[in-house]
Amino acid sequence: MRTFKLKNPVYIKSGFTIVGPKEGDGNFGDCFDIVLHDDLWCEKSYEKCESKLHRDAITGAIKKAGLVREDMDILLGGDLLNELSSTSLAARNFPCAFLGLYNACSTFGEAMLVGSMLIDGGFAKNVTCSTSSHYSSAERQYRFPLELGNQRQPTAQWTVTGAGCTVLSNEMPARENIRVYEDDIIAIDDSMNIDEKTLDKYKKSIDKQKKVIDAEKSNIIEDNFSRLNNDYMKQNTHYAVVTGGTIGRVIDLGIDDEANMGSCMAPAAADTILTHLKESGLDPSDYDGIFTGDLGRFGKANLEYILSKEGITLPTYYMDTGASYFTPEQKTFQGGSGAGCVNTVFNSYILKRLQRGELKRIIVVPTGALLNKDTPLQKETIPGIAHAFTVESRQFE
Amino acid sequence: MEIFLTYLKVFAVGGFVCMLGQILINKTKMSSARILVLYMLIGALLEVCGAFEPIKKFAGSGVTIPIMGFGSNLAKGAIEGAKQNGMLGAITGGLSSVAAGLTVVIVCGFVFGLISRSRSKKI
Amino acid sequence: MIDRKEYQDYVSKNAPKSPMVRTLVAAFIVGGIICCIGEGIGDIIKLIFKDMSEKDVAIWESCIMIFLGSFFTALGLYDKLGHYAGGGSIIPITGFANSVISPAMEYNREGVFFGICAKMFVIAGPIIVFGVTVSFFIGFISYFVV
Repeated sequence: MRTFKLKNPVYIKSGFTIVGPKEGDGNFGDCFDIVLHDDLWCEKSYEKCESKLHRDAITGAIKKAGLVREDMDILLGGDLLNELSSTSLAARNFPCAFLGLYNACSTFGEAMLVGSMLIDGGFAKNVTCSTSSHYSSAERQYRFPLELGNQRQPTAQWTVTGAGCTVLSNEMPARENIRVYEDDIIAIDDSMNIDEKTLDKYKKSIDKQKKVIDAEKSNIIEDNFSRLNNDYMKQNTHYAVVTGGTIGRVIDLGIDDEANMGSCMAPAAADTILTHLKESGLDPSDYDGIFTGDLGRFGKANLEYILSKEGITLPTYYMDTGASYFTPEQKTFQGGSGAGCVNTVFNSYILKRLQRGELKRIIVVPTGALLNKDTPLQKETIPGIAHAFTVESRQFE
Repeated sequence: MEIFLTYLKVFAVGGFVCMLGQILINKTKMSSARILVLYMLIGALLEVCGAFEPIKKFAGSGVTIPIMGFGSNLAKGAIEGAKQNGMLGAITGGLSSVAAGLTVVIVCGFVFGLISRSRSKKI
Repeated sequence: MIDRKEYQDYVSKNAPKSPMVRTLVAAFIVGGIICCIGEGIGDIIKLIFKDMSEKDVAIWESCIMIFLGSFFTALGLYDKLGHYAGGGSIIPITGFANSVISPAMEYNREGVFFGICAKMFVIAGPIIVFGVTVSFFIGFISYFVV
């Protein structure tokens, strides 16, 4: 039995997202909390930038939930870099317990499952689930240097630059989202658990950032408060509750093309969805929102093909977050991928729709392709994994 | 008119060589390093067979600017070295014939690596 | 669940392919133009240094082309060209320069020693190794044959 139902309600207190410039131009552009103009964000390397994105996403989500760092019991998070470097470097700023998770691009699903289990079991009160990815750091780690003049394969996907964080809690969220200002995110907190030398570096980087913000009138961060989808002024009519999930199996159907990740992950997604439907006795039409992770356009077609062989047709509102992430004019071929892909969409677009009551009961299936740089060279095939979690929205009384 | 014809030949042969490479990229999904090695080996092979010199007479830079020129230089240097200086020439000939190119590439790599950084991409 | 073999066949049959005509035309034109630039540089050298031997002109020509390839890589323009032209910009000697300079630029954040110097040939290394090895064997064989 891989499907479970939570006995106690696990509330989603808040979700916070930071994305890069290209993602801000994409289809979900007006839903994100912060859109950067420069994807280095005043840091010296893309890895440092990713870590900063991750840290600030967690800080922002905690602020938005109306909590402080000390209220958090456990940080759950992961990313795509070697040995979870960006997550662990981000976690040193928080005085909380930390569990690093890795399931490639489906890390967010894993974090949500583990987090909701921890709260349901009474082991924690507040938990953050965060992931991050950065196009430039992932490109260097998994593929080629950025300046190498080679063509991307038509099956390739674009790693999303972005980080997102969800705060799970055993307490009801407030009706209003607490507004998060730029200064809140980049401020130094006394409770930051860092040594003097790192603090010095951090202060310098903040000074530099403030200078840029002053000089360009906030130009490094695009202000989202004037954006269309801004929900800071409105009260939420609904709140979101995690109700259960299905833990995925590693599925390998022998695809060995590292430029075709969607096809590696589609069988795993199909397996998880089939298992979930079988074990919970539900039908796809019982959900009014079905979201898979970063399968991409071709991976999405593969998933629909596999499911149709099993006699299951996904409803028309089924959406793949990777395939829908970018517009066709952005030339990403198959769409977005990476640990930040499903995360940033869930914490902005999906969560906002849940809180407005537009979606009642959804299933999110983040998918991941499990490889590193050496396994394809050693002629290994690429297995995939997918986790599913279900979220319901309920009306405030 | 003669100049125009020369450049047309260079353009046609150079373009054709690159187009063959593009067919390989599209069909086999070879990475750029493999393509470069393959072309260099083809250049060396042509030189050994003696076919490179006539093609070079015909197309000039059309075959020497593609990496085949690098391979043919290596092979040519080794053969000439073996003729002139015996065994030691066979060892030193190849590299010394491409020493200029290698030096420029390494120096440029170091200098530009120091002063320039890779940038993030939007497409 | 779907059969392994069936799924692999389905994927390889249905996977999106590169548009053949567009990429081939782009590779042909860009490759041809780069070769013509090389020829032009050779002609200019011949005009300025009238008594230079043919061999030296060829060496200077490839050195200048390598420099140009490195320079446009450092400006961040060569990879845009490569994105468009594919083989047209990989196969000329400028593409070789690009495959040396791009890792050097990428890894300079790890320092001069273990970044730039150690990682410079991560992509172009096989070319040097294959080239030198093959040239040694060619020389070795020709020593005994001739």
